[in-house]
Amino acid sequence: MDENNIQCESAVDGSFKDVTNTVIKFKPPLYRQRYQFIKDLVIQHEPKKVADLGCGDASLLWMLKFHKCIELLVGVDINEDNLQRKKYKLSPLIGDYLKPREKTLTVTLYHGSAVERDSRLLGFDLIACIELIEHLDSEDLAKFPKVVFGFLSPAMIVISTPNSEFNPLFPAATLRDSDHKFEWNRMQFQTCQVSQVGKYGKDVWAPATFSMKAFRVLVYTTTYPSLQQNKYRQYAVVNEVISQVYDMRRDLLESLKLQDDRDLADLPEDTGTSEPPFQCYHPVLTQLNANMEKTPKPFCVGNVFYVPLERLFSLPKVKHLCIDIEMLKTLIADAVMLNSDGSAVMVDIHDEDNDD
Amino acid sequence: MSGRARVRARGIARSPRALESTSVDLCDSNTSSSSGYMGTSRTSQTDKDDTSSGDVGCTFMGRDGTIRRHFMDLGVCTRENLAHVRDCKTGSSGIPVKLVTNLFNLDLPQNWQLYQYRVTYNPDLESRRLRIALLYSHSELFNKAKVFDGAILFLSQKLEEKVTELSGETQRGEKVKITITLTRELPSSSPVCIQVFNIIFKKILKKLSMYQIGRNYYNPSAPVEILQHKLSLWPGFAISVSQFESRLLLSADVCYKVLRNETVLELMTGLYHRTGMSSFTQACEKELLGLIVLTRYNNKTYRIDDIDWSVRPTHTFQKRDGTEITYVDYYKQQYDITLSDLKQPVLVSLLKSKRNDNTETRIAHLIPELCFLTGLTSQAVSDFHMMKALAEVTRLSPLSRQQRLARLADDIQRNKNARFELETWGLHLGCQTSLTGRVLPLEKLLMQDQVCQPESAADWSKDMRTCKILNAPSLNKWLLIYSNRAENVTESFLSCLRRVGSPMGFNVDYPKIIKVQETAAAFLRAIQEHVDPDVQLVMCILSSNQKSYYDSIKKYLSSDCPVPSQCVLTRTLNKHGMMMSIATKIAMQVTCKLGGELWAVEIPLKSLMVVGIDVCKDTLNKRMAVVGFVASINPGITRWYSRCILQRTTDVADCLKVFMIGALNKWYKYNHGLPARIIVYRDGVGDGQLKTLVEFEVPQLLSSVAESSSDTSSKLSVIVVRKKCMPRFFTEVNHTLQNPPLGTVVDSEATRPDWYDFYLISQVAHRGTVNPTYYNVIYDDNGLKPDHMQRLTFKLCHLYYNWPGLISIPAPCQYAHKLTFLVAQSIHKEPSLELANSLFYL
Repeated sequence: MDENNIQCESAVDGSFKDVTNTVIKFKPPLYRQRYQFIKDLVIQHEPKKVADLGCGDASLLWMLKFHKCIELLVGVDINEDNLQRKKYKLSPLIGDYLKPREKTLTVTLYHGSAVERDSRLLGFDLIACIELIEHLDSEDLAKFPKVVFGFLSPAMIVISTPNSEFNPLFPAATLRDSDHKFEWNRMQFQTCQVSQVGKYGKDVWAPATFSMKAFRVLVYTTTYPSLQQNKYRQYAVVNEVISQVYDMRRDLLESLKLQDDRDLADLPEDTGTSEPPFQCYHPVLTQLNANMEKTPKPFCVGNVFYVPLERLFSLPKVKHLCIDIEMLKTLIADAVMLNSDGSAVMVDIHDEDNDD
Repeated sequence: MSGRARVRARGIARSPRALESTSVDLCDSNTSSSSGYMGTSRTSQTDKDDTSSGDVGCTFMGRDGTIRRHFMDLGVCTRENLAHVRDCKTGSSGIPVKLVTNLFNLDLPQNWQLYQYRVTYNPDLESRRLRIALLYSHSELFNKAKVFDGAILFLSQKLEEKVTELSGETQRGEKVKITITLTRELPSSSPVCIQVFNIIFKKILKKLSMYQIGRNYYNPSAPVEILQHKLSLWPGFAISVSQFESRLLLSADVCYKVLRNETVLELMTGLYHRTGMSSFTQACEKELLGLIVLTRYNNKTYRIDDIDWSVRPTHTFQKRDGTEITYVDYYKQQYDITLSDLKQPVLVSLLKSKRNDNTETRIAHLIPELCFLTGLTSQAVSDFHMMKALAEVTRLSPLSRQQRLARLADDIQRNKNARFELETWGLHLGCQTSLTGRVLPLEKLLMQDQVCQPESAADWSKDMRTCKILNAPSLNKWLLIYSNRAENVTESFLSCLRRVGSPMGFNVDYPKIIKVQETAAAFLRAIQEHVDPDVQLVMCILSSNQKSYYDSIKKYLSSDCPVPSQCVLTRTLNKHGMMMSIATKIAMQVTCKLGGELWAVEIPLKSLMVVGIDVCKDTLNKRMAVVGFVASINPGITRWYSRCILQRTTDVADCLKVFMIGALNKWYKYNHGLPARIIVYRDGVGDGQLKTLVEFEVPQLLSSVAESSSDTSSKLSVIVVRKKCMPRFFTEVNHTLQNPPLGTVVDSEATRPDWYDFYLISQVAHRGTVNPTYYNVIYDDNGLKPDHMQRLTFKLCHLYYNWPGLISIPAPCQYAHKLTFLVAQSIHKEPSLELANSLFYL
């Protein structure tokens, strides 16, 4: 933990550019560098539950919501208006409905103080407090380590605060933001209570002794569709099965038609000789075929085209979504027609006739 | 051809208009999405960071130059210039009928006002976000109902002072003085106020967890999946607040968003399987260029302008900060997305720069795997099965539509946040408006030697069986071309055609019969070989439904060598037990193509010319507009003069003068004088074009009318016809809701105070809810009473010869539509003038 803090500091320190005249600009901007730091941590450790205390305009949460590993994302901020205005940028996109995630993600925003003992934030894998502590007044600052380390006690925590040693390089004000209560230098940061993490071993604090009153007010919560939810898993399976069945049917019809055409008139063979610029499907296709060859082939009886479930189950996408053939069968049963013993999907070989 | 053949094939069971009304229904939901015109790119608005203000930004004039087109139309007050309807525009004939509408009352306290403030910052702040954040952080404004776009602030409660000064501080510590100055107090009927109401209702729908796409709001949690076609339909609502005849109303309609559960990569894979390697790139380009795609990760929409086959996801590009990164790494880092196909090409989209001064066009590279297709391709629209599946979901009966609306109103009332939003503004959502319409009397049909009162105005094909048509030139010299595959049906069809002809009074002689190979070229060669100036008609029996056959035949016979032509599909002829009715329909169609007349209705005005104008886009070259103009050239309104032109500008028809003078000359030739009255029905008008119409098209028509005669010129009226409109009407019959009867006119409550307008229901919707047709008289010298104008319009809906029944728009408009459709879809150039006297395009 401690190490992380220091890493963070140095990550920030390392990359500011030369002083040009009066105004310093960081590239990429400082806040981005800090967010990137969190992002890298997420990529590295794959936490499931992540909270951002003092989430502000929810930019960090927005960056994190793309990560597949995260299942719960919580933001807390004291500025409710800001949360109200920014909350929709955390809502699922159209694409999230069309191609749902693997795991369900819930995003929740609370309005309230960062230093509340909120049991809803217990058991998190990562809590980020980016540029938060300098906004706390002395009373809250005193509570902060107790709450964060002692009570919430996440597996990982990242705390960052501006380094006042650089302040002389900025124009005007003594503090960088009017809401800042203090700005520390590296020394102050490392000696302050916040970084004295060791003090709060789990044995010191017994969470049960706190009253679990939650003062934070829920501002927004949304749950992303995912393949863990039965509805979306079913959509995904049926979608894949139907499109594969129709593809197989089309292939069959086309091979028949081609033969038919050749019989009727001696068509010259396609003489296109130009090199195809787009060959990506070859490897994928051959691989597919190899897996599928072992399974029973689709067949035709009268005007009905049958595709054995076993063959469908050999498709990688289907296999990924269903544990076994039985599950495949239950998922698609409502959407497609199965033959009497439930071993194959049936469709008409021709589309129902065009008269209406 | 497909559409055409199908209309014919299905015509037996259903009227073509009823059919089209379903597609209109769909358009409701997908113009904003995709398939149609300008609506597509709007999806990108949904993900703006500052949503509440984003809405405002594009609504208020000035900021980025976009004003809602619909609101622009509302500012065009045409009624004030029409003296005879200034006081009253309602008719009185017909039987009153009680109608329920989809319009909700919106109640405001008396003397309610909206306060508009100008907000300035000192020093001035460039960023709108910052401006908004600073103002919103002030407690003075915190609990007030407000709408703010960065410069203009609207409040429902007046601030204490006329000028309020606040101070704020940016994160950098800069002190900023904010001055809020009262600029206007607006009554609830003012256009600005109405825009604010619309924003408020958008906020409310958002609070009901609905998802904004384009202008409408959808419910993503209850999609209807059409899995076989990889479609996902989101149910939603199109709502808008606006000032109707006497009061403020919220109109709400159910709509569906068609989303495609298919990525561009999947489509390409499918194409690859279908076309094979050799023509794969062309097929991709043909299918994809111009499509709008939706990116999975940021919800933005892009137009595909090109495909770059040389770039792969493993190639690098330069990020904004100048560093190089591969596409694969970028998407992995940024969005945790792993690309599965590393050899896919990239799609290229030209980005429109938001700032006008920046002339440099930027391009975006998109990965096919991450782009969803949006809307329906033209191929999809012509897929009968898919459209049927779609229609089954989207076609709602009046009752279920009403239930959805009631639920929406209920949800708004019950949701605490939504109600709070309404209350802080002082608004109250009331009940649905009901009003009284009138049902016009049905028309009798005038046939050659009898008058026929059809049993059903929706379809009088049965009633016609015993009647002779008005005028049928006999068909003496004609060609019948068929392919070797169609041999067996051709003979029986021919005898059938001759048999049904005689009771109608249509004499069909034996044609010259030519048998050809089943290729488009063979058909064309046969036509070129055998057509001579005496040939009255070329009939082709096609065994395949390929558009290229139809297009090449039509193109040659409409412009290169002008002879009326009729294409028939063998599939249509093979329908069991339908041969007689199909032959009858074809006989009527052929009669019209030869210049014959089928039936008439009584027109009390003795010297009246009616004109229909339609505009649509050419399918090959989207920058070209096809303008069709069809004018009646006899007092009985049974004969027509049809012209069509392709022009570069798409908004206004600028060839009307030529057309109008041509039509007047024709009229003069046949009637030895000019028509006393001319009534023009203009279809194909988009939102926001009303002003251009009034300023450019009406003067063109007026000056051509004035130029054609030295003394008294004809009196002119111009009526804008719209097949799509917000209001829906239902009648209550036996405790359930139904579509209103045919001939229902609504000219109060749901109309607009500044327009001389009315709604007319002239078509049946067997399934689903009927779409009333909206008429707006924008110019009227004739001074007909509203009653007469409405009845005349209704009469004209009886005169479309391709369908023995009522249709949704006046016949001249439908003819013009049919003509532009043929030109835009198939022939892509002007048809020969020699054909102008016949309905060759039916």
